[in-house]
Amino acid sequence: MTDHRPLEELLRADEGDAGCIAGEDILDAYVELELAGADPAKVYPGTAIHLRSCPGCRADHDGLLEAARRFSDVEPA
Amino acid sequence: MHLVVSVERSSTSSRVVDTARDRESERWVAQLRAGHPRRERTVHKLHDLLRRAAFHELSRRRGQLGSIGGPELDDLAQQAADDALMNILARLDDFRGLSRFTTWAYKFVVFEVSGKVARHAWRRQPPARDELAFEQLPDSLSPKPGERIERREQLDALSGAIGELTDRQREVFVAVALNEVPIDVLAVQLRTNRNAIYKNLFDARRNLRARMAAAGHPVAEEDAPR
Repeated sequence: MTDHRPLEELLRADEGDAGCIAGEDILDAYVELELAGADPAKVYPGTAIHLRSCPGCRADHDGLLEAARRFSDVEPA
Repeated sequence: MHLVVSVERSSTSSRVVDTARDRESERWVAQLRAGHPRRERTVHKLHDLLRRAAFHELSRRRGQLGSIGGPELDDLAQQAADDALMNILARLDDFRGLSRFTTWAYKFVVFEVSGKVARHAWRRQPPARDELAFEQLPDSLSPKPGERIERREQLDALSGAIGELTDRQREVFVAVALNEVPIDVLAVQLRTNRNAIYKNLFDARRNLRARMAAAGHPVAEEDAPR
């Protein structure tokens, strides 16, 4: 079998994509749902679709998920 | 079909933060407000957390930063933490408690790092002319000897369809999808923002799928004419 990049992935443009700006506002809530073991796609379906297609927002999401996992639950001074 | 530009609505069902964490978040917000006796100490602690998160995020994105030295990385982390802190303090009233306060705060520093890394990467190495112009499909897509004939025809249809995009759609699709130029670096290059680039990319992908389907080479079953 020949190894190649899937066209479906290269041309992904799914119906219902919420775009970059909609996700900016709720990305923290989205990540918190993931950390709680819930499915954020049920609450924020447009952002879940968007994160599959937008490399910039996906990088931000991944960074926030990791930061929240590592550095949250800190009490104020 | 279009990109749905919308606001994702939050509801109480999206709240997963428990009561203890709610109280912790409330304390953060209260102590960061002007006039609170512990404000200075709390601001200092938040800045320290933001700097650590920024440094971690910069390290995660180090591939885009080239041979940046330790002091320069520290400086970028400091700038990202400073800018994020200013934003957070100005927008305390926007915190709705849908996440822990710290998760909400880290969002600002991640966005700051994202923007700073893109500008740094662009200054270090702006996209080359041939990363934006379409000549042929990259090797990773080009048909290989022995490839099924349908795939070869599909890729030929894709090449033809790329040539029919608008100039901006073609430039964005070629850079981001084919040559993997980071979307934020391209946004700096084209003096626009991520959302505008993404919209061009989305429209380009939709156009390409439609043109390929019309040419008899749909990418997916749902694209095929009925």
